[in-house]
Amino acid sequence: MAGKGRRTTEETPLDLVPIMNLVTILIPFLLMSAQFVTLAVIDSTLPAIGPPQEVQEEPDEPPLMLSVALTDQGFTILGDNGVVTGESEEEGAEGEEGEGEPEPTIPCAERPCTSAESYDFEELTRMLSLIKDEYPDDQNVILVPEGRIQYEVIVRTMDSTREDKSQKGEDDSSRELFPFVVIAGGAQ
Amino acid sequence: MALKKKKRVQKREELAITSMMDMMTIILVFLLKSYASTEVTVTPSEDMQLPTSSAAKAPELAVQLMVSKTEILVDGVPVLGLTTVQDEENPGEMLIAVPEDEKKGQMITDLYDRLLDKAEQAKALGEASGSEQHAFKGRILLQCDQNLPFSVIREVMYTAGQAQFSEFKFVVYKTE
Repeated sequence: MAGKGRRTTEETPLDLVPIMNLVTILIPFLLMSAQFVTLAVIDSTLPAIGPPQEVQEEPDEPPLMLSVALTDQGFTILGDNGVVTGESEEEGAEGEEGEGEPEPTIPCAERPCTSAESYDFEELTRMLSLIKDEYPDDQNVILVPEGRIQYEVIVRTMDSTREDKSQKGEDDSSRELFPFVVIAGGAQ
Repeated sequence: MALKKKKRVQKREELAITSMMDMMTIILVFLLKSYASTEVTVTPSEDMQLPTSSAAKAPELAVQLMVSKTEILVDGVPVLGLTTVQDEENPGEMLIAVPEDEKKGQMITDLYDRLLDKAEQAKALGEASGSEQHAFKGRILLQCDQNLPFSVIREVMYTAGQAQFSEFKFVVYKTE
């Protein structure tokens, strides 16, 4: 009887101390190499200095050569046939009034823009989406930022030109607009 | 008598370690989940805040060019410092710029020399390995502070382009 009692007391304490030691060492190590923010990259190429490309055959349709100029007044969308003013938009009327300096296609909320928040990225996406409807095969966009434009604004512009989150494209992801961005030297 | 004594000793030994183990196991699983598996890491600081973006492409290993508010680094080694100049069009406001005596036209000379070295190294390595996968493709990871003016980034990009790096990868924080 007494022997049986002794056996049960021997089994109950499970020696967890070595495992604790191991875990206490593992936790600082993993904490050190933990990644709480995920990184991503945006691709962009330098067309002018890259390796020579083979001469392409003349395409049937003239390329769009879509460019977005970034100034502290707003975005100006340019195509191969001039500036997109957005005739049917309210901004169209405003654009014609501009004397001397041409009005941007999508002006800022407050001018000159001081922060990234005053740029109308949603409107840019909406207009590029309309352009994409006209030119479904075009994938390139040229960004022409002014020297004073903050890097953050450029990145957010690239986001707006890459995809349209409000519309669903193929395979249920957001609609792709112009994913290949080229950053031009810009206005001095 | 003997039995009583034994019981008391046993009681003293018991340390409630099980609940602590439970907690540790949960922390361990969480930390394992957030274990950094990519080679590219950033050390955030006051001078180096990456912008956030909805881009989804994962970064790959390449030459790392870092442009903070105060200096330019290549693979973690400082190359030159940046200064601030008066903004000509908005008097009173300061713009970050590359010092005039550090550049020739748009080319930042010290940075060009350093990047050219890196390009030569990468090319030699690519040839030595002999495989297509490791061949020099002119890839460069560009980490820039979100408040830098484009004029600085343009000069950096131009210099990198001259040093045969033409495939830029702008590193950004991914929004969830």
